[in-house]
Amino acid sequence: MDLSDLIEVPAIMPALKANSKKQLLQLLAERAAAISGIPEREVFDTILQRERLGSTGVGNGIAIPHGKLAGVKRITGVFARLETPVDFEALDDQPVDLVFLLLAPEGAGADHLKALSRIARVLRDTDTVAKIRGTRDASAIHALLSETPASHAA
Amino acid sequence: MEQAVYLITLVGTALVVAAAFSSLIAFRFGAPLLLLFLGIGLASGVDGLGIVFDNAHLAYFVGAIALAVILFDSGFGTPVGVLRQAGLPALTLATIGVGITTVIFGIAAYYLTGFTWLESFLLGAAVASTDAAAVFFLLRAGNINLRERVRSTLEIESGTNDPIAIFLTITLVEIIALGAKPDADLLLVDLVIGFFVQMTLGAAIGLLGGFVIVKLVERLNLDRGLLPIFVLTLSLLVFAMAGAVGGSGFLAVYLAGLVAGNSDIRAVSTLKRFQEGMSWLAQIIMFLVLGLFATPSQFPAIVVSALVLGLFLMFVARPIAVWLCLIPFNIPRQETAFISWVGLRGAVSILLAITPLLGGLENGRAIFNIAFIIVLTSLVIQGWTVGPLARRLGLIVPQRYGPLDKVELELPGSAHHELLAYKVVPGSPVAKGQRIPRWARPSLVVREGRSMRFADMGRLQAGDNVYIFVPDRYPRLLDRLFASRAEVDAEDEDFFGAFTVDQTHLAGELEAIYGATIKEEERKLSIGDLIKQRLRGHVEYADRVSLGPIDLIVRDVDDKGRIVAVGLSIEPAPPPPPVPVFLSGSEISQRIRRFFAKRPQKPATTQEPPTTSEGLSEDA
Repeated sequence: MDLSDLIEVPAIMPALKANSKKQLLQLLAERAAAISGIPEREVFDTILQRERLGSTGVGNGIAIPHGKLAGVKRITGVFARLETPVDFEALDDQPVDLVFLLLAPEGAGADHLKALSRIARVLRDTDTVAKIRGTRDASAIHALLSETPASHAA
Repeated sequence: MEQAVYLITLVGTALVVAAAFSSLIAFRFGAPLLLLFLGIGLASGVDGLGIVFDNAHLAYFVGAIALAVILFDSGFGTPVGVLRQAGLPALTLATIGVGITTVIFGIAAYYLTGFTWLESFLLGAAVASTDAAAVFFLLRAGNINLRERVRSTLEIESGTNDPIAIFLTITLVEIIALGAKPDADLLLVDLVIGFFVQMTLGAAIGLLGGFVIVKLVERLNLDRGLLPIFVLTLSLLVFAMAGAVGGSGFLAVYLAGLVAGNSDIRAVSTLKRFQEGMSWLAQIIMFLVLGLFATPSQFPAIVVSALVLGLFLMFVARPIAVWLCLIPFNIPRQETAFISWVGLRGAVSILLAITPLLGGLENGRAIFNIAFIIVLTSLVIQGWTVGPLARRLGLIVPQRYGPLDKVELELPGSAHHELLAYKVVPGSPVAKGQRIPRWARPSLVVREGRSMRFADMGRLQAGDNVYIFVPDRYPRLLDRLFASRAEVDAEDEDFFGAFTVDQTHLAGELEAIYGATIKEEERKLSIGDLIKQRLRGHVEYADRVSLGPIDLIVRDVDDKGRIVAVGLSIEPAPPPPPVPVFLSGSEISQRIRRFFAKRPQKPATTQEPPTTSEGLSEDA
């Protein structure tokens, strides 16, 4: 699975400013709503509920909030690169500055998990992550996310 | 006379020093260190440098004392909690397991050597016990962080099986030495009665002795330098007393150590350090003496049969014994296989093989030589492969904490408080601002060479030295606060899963979000309880539970065994490599049921159930 299937350039926010986890989630939900046409509130509630189950901060400044929504037509991603990191209650206590939001339709099943693990893999590549942190260009970030890192070819 | 003193001391110390130096090499190359000690003994012996040492009585005497010292130390260092966790399977291995190994090995020995039945079983008994020192050393030196249950089982088994092997060997030597042709029935009855008498007496005196040691240490205000010597002497007294009244001295001394080590004894850290040193010395001396005692020029005569027997012991006798003993405990196959492979033979086996010589048996020398080769084979083959095998079977878990910089000091005049000196490591919770709990009394901080009161310090910084008074039964919490974060590499992330979930939430949520496979009645359970139930109540750090598309991993448990952190992996681990032979009890009953269920339709071709193994931590 290629990440370019789930995310398009307009879904990338290359220099987002947020003061808190909650505000960050709201901004992500807003953009997701704009792309998918689902009410912002629903998106926000879904991902917030998942955060209550446990933070999706996976460490090293990266978070992958996710959830399933009835109204979503296909697996949809939104990406944000933050100007200043915010606390995300991540396991390693490091503030987060790269966030990939993933929304999946109710019936997505295995594809949802496949997409999640693909995202986790791409964002585990230190090279890719460093390059994303170094740019403010949405299409550059899109290209980086869509690359298949040689070392982690999945 | 005086010359002799110098000469013997010179040679003796030179050997010990050489052995101590060789330990540096061994740590660097991961070679089985004990093999090196043995090698130095051999090289200096009659066929090497030419030191003639052929006194079986002296060799046995020295070895027995050394073993007593080692057993006391290993008992002293075994926490009772470990015993509770793995006691039953380990004790089964240590008793019945030794018996089964002896019998299976004895049968093979009978056909491969010219020995009589009794002599064959004697050889079997000598090599039936797993060597505590070898196992402990390998696990520690190899930096192998094993799953807890496997580790505890191995440690307790190897600590407790020596008395049984010793009993069997010595009894057999006595029977053979008497020259009588005993009835098989009578022999068995004698063995069983003798066994119970020896073990009961040994256990009683050992437990009692342990309590007395604790009380004496508490009462007598001995000089600090004298205390460890006093305790060591008392332990040998327990050993000797148990032996004198016909009990098993080795069991007694192990139990005395267990009691003393677990009962809040004064000056625990001093005692531990001293005993660790003594244990090393005993180990070195034992191997040196046994190496000196052996005569390699006699080996060619028996080397082929000894090698075959050694391999038979490793690949047939021990695995069968371990498998049979562990059937009732539903231990996953990977663990059973590993436990059977870590049946390392060591100095005790060689020591026991001296007893036939002491008893004046005709084949004594041949028995000793064969046992010697078997131990060598085991140390080389098993010793070198333990690490890779553990990794392959998925029994190694990532380190729980990173490095820790700590010194324990004992305070004169206060029996139950200790002074701990921690160096604050970068990345540790305290360096990040975590508070030190109130029951610990931080009194002094040394920063950049200047000492300050803790209250004036503000936040601790990396590099600070903190001195804390604590009651000596402090929980491990402090260590956790001062340890740096364990390095988590990508593989560990795979191991623990990318995400975390709160163990108090309902399991049903996992079904909603991830489509986890959860039974109707499990939805109402909390995630923690679900894991516990799936693992049948016994949860261990790094346990893994598969819920269909996702896996839950226990990231941490607290002192009471409650789950405190759970990881969620969306990439279920590949099943561990299948281990075909070692069926656990429930698997056997399953197969029998399946066999009978299928019979009516197809009696001729009973389909073999798939040999894929079950999840690591889940017993089917």
